[in-house]
Amino acid sequence: MAETCARVVVTGLGPVSSIGIGPAAFAAGLREGASGISPITSFDASGFPSKQAGEVPDFRPERWLRRIDQDAWGRSGQFAAVAARVAVDHGGLDLGDVDPERAHVVIGTTSGESRVLESLTVQFGIDGPDTMDPGLLAKLPASRLAHAVSEELALAGESITLATACSASNYALGYAYDLLTTGAADVVLAGGADSVCQWAHAGFYRLGALTEDACAPFDRHRSGILTAEGGAVLLLETYEHAAARGAAMLAEVLGYGANCDANHPVAPDQRSVAECMRIAHRNADVKPSDVDYICAHGTGTPTNDAAEAAAIFEVFGHRPPPTSSIKSMIGHSMGAASGFGAIACTLAITEGFLPPTVNWSTPDLAFADLDPVPNLARRARVRVVQNNGFAFGGNNAIVLLGAVR
Amino acid sequence: MSATITGWSRGSVVAGPDRAALASWTPGPVTALSDRPLPYPDAHAVVDFDVRAELGRRGTSFLDRATSLAVVACRDALADAGLEPDDTNRDRIGVALGTTVGSFKSTSEFSLESKISEKPYLVNPVLFPNTVMNCAAGQAAIRFGLRGVNATVAGGPIGFLIALRYATNALERGYAGAMLVGAAEEFSEHRAWAHALSTTEPKPVSVGEAAVVFVVEASPAGRSPQADVLAVCTGYGPAGGRERALRSCTRRALRAAGVGREEVVAVVTGEADEADESEYQPVTGVLGDRVPRLLPRVYFGDCGAATGGLGVGLLLAGHRGIEPSPAGAALVTGCDDDGAVAVAVIRVVRA
Repeated sequence: MAETCARVVVTGLGPVSSIGIGPAAFAAGLREGASGISPITSFDASGFPSKQAGEVPDFRPERWLRRIDQDAWGRSGQFAAVAARVAVDHGGLDLGDVDPERAHVVIGTTSGESRVLESLTVQFGIDGPDTMDPGLLAKLPASRLAHAVSEELALAGESITLATACSASNYALGYAYDLLTTGAADVVLAGGADSVCQWAHAGFYRLGALTEDACAPFDRHRSGILTAEGGAVLLLETYEHAAARGAAMLAEVLGYGANCDANHPVAPDQRSVAECMRIAHRNADVKPSDVDYICAHGTGTPTNDAAEAAAIFEVFGHRPPPTSSIKSMIGHSMGAASGFGAIACTLAITEGFLPPTVNWSTPDLAFADLDPVPNLARRARVRVVQNNGFAFGGNNAIVLLGAVR
Repeated sequence: MSATITGWSRGSVVAGPDRAALASWTPGPVTALSDRPLPYPDAHAVVDFDVRAELGRRGTSFLDRATSLAVVACRDALADAGLEPDDTNRDRIGVALGTTVGSFKSTSEFSLESKISEKPYLVNPVLFPNTVMNCAAGQAAIRFGLRGVNATVAGGPIGFLIALRYATNALERGYAGAMLVGAAEEFSEHRAWAHALSTTEPKPVSVGEAAVVFVVEASPAGRSPQADVLAVCTGYGPAGGRERALRSCTRRALRAAGVGREEVVAVVTGEADEADESEYQPVTGVLGDRVPRLLPRVYFGDCGAATGGLGVGLLLAGHRGIEPSPAGAALVTGCDDDGAVAVAVIRVVRA
């Protein structure tokens, strides 16, 4: 392991979610156990048995964006840019005081500009290949999720989009941590973004992973995910940079771990997930007994939750820390999911509560000792949290956050 | 920072190892690859590529073309390096692949199926993972049992260079001991039309297809070094500041590599042709010397995220007699249509 130089702190939160935009609204939603699930408007869902998703209601990027023209960017890029703007505002960071070459952007995603691609698909497949709109083609590259942030905030550092599917935000937070701790950066905006689209809805349905009613992670009768969208970006700084400007330090990034199942494209692998937890603990210099709360990947599919719970018992023993899934409230926002998880973890530390797993009614005897923080948020002193992210392709990534020491 | 290239997919899907093969890489007829009309009949495609001939029937039925190309290139890079994944090392071997959107064709066809089916959910679930951009990296890990950090970066034309940046960080931080680093872009009617409809270049090169993968290691541990990756830097020029960003990125890369301007013997750029100096001019402005330039797109067409990898391949193949060794170095540069830039500093090691 290379010598670690700088400590890394979270100084701003930018959630753009189905339960609210901005840290205050998002925190209130988590405390209340709010539901962000609503009838789908992004596409005609009338032919689907499941017609609900976690869309961001009434998303008006022009209310937030100051530099970029929203019409030049796809919906996922707009989510990323707004989330980053919200995070910078929340952190009270004056961008005029930042060296732009030492301010980087790392955004994770599953499907990039999926809505743009769907529009192009209709043009290509129904109207004919030569009818594809060059303006839409220009919006298609997934790299533009990070670029939307770089343009909106006028940053000249790295502008990188990591496409490691549903753990992508944790990959982004991990790479951001490395940039800061190795001295390559003063400031990094890191997180993820994705948009609700028809093809993902169809794909998850046909995999048997989409529920027709409520998403109920860790419940015995859980029946799958609800697709969702949004942008989740955290403002990260070196401790020195944050201290020098007198910023409020919300949490500290302790480290992360990433590995690959190398086993199956869509089925999780308990052994590999447990190993990812051990890697993350080792890199963050954290013992299982230090962890106060696990923000689960917790998709609410039978297989994910069983494998994740088993991995947690394997690593933490028979009394693991409380483990809840915020996907029960906001749905599965794909590449943004572990970004929302990291924001929830930070709020758990600063506000002293555990977000609940809503829609929970019946314990699963396969992991009866797992405490899913059922239905009601709980007051708690939270010092160290573990944020899980797993994905298609076996891309596991886990971030450890802690109270600022 | 320094990492070592110990192997690459020299013989697989890009071209042969010798200079002649690279120079003679020309567009060929591609109409057999599509049952739809194409914007032009010729392109730089691996027309006779057959994943079953390469990898056998097992596990290949549902792989799309981009993933198949990437997996074959990973196989060849591992073989070239003499790196055999086994239970003693597989946890420490990772993957970092660059892409633009994954497989545009796979995603679009899956999406279209949902749009035109009588029931919108009547899609083939087995094909769903092909719509996710990390499909190729995940399948490479599955086939060769690679359990280390597994990343996919969406970087468009600088996808390979960003993957190289990501991988060298993972090596430097000790997260992995070896990384397969590369990029793949498939030929498809979707990419061909997208390219034809959106290009603004006066004499556009055709769309290209390639997969190129390198084994990059923190320390070569018994394997023969083929090149040193002395530095990789990336940046962004907001509000149309791409040229300034490229100049700055070049300076940072040279400084990080510990390489003087006068030591740079060649640059490999992502430009379309000799007339295009959008990268060459800012980069040579920093160098103070119009050093020889290699243009992968002239030989391979527009291979999107694979372009930078093809550039490194040209250097390793000693194309045009350019020898960035033992004292010299070459720059591999790239930029995208927004404002992202990347520069790698490469020194070839001759056996």
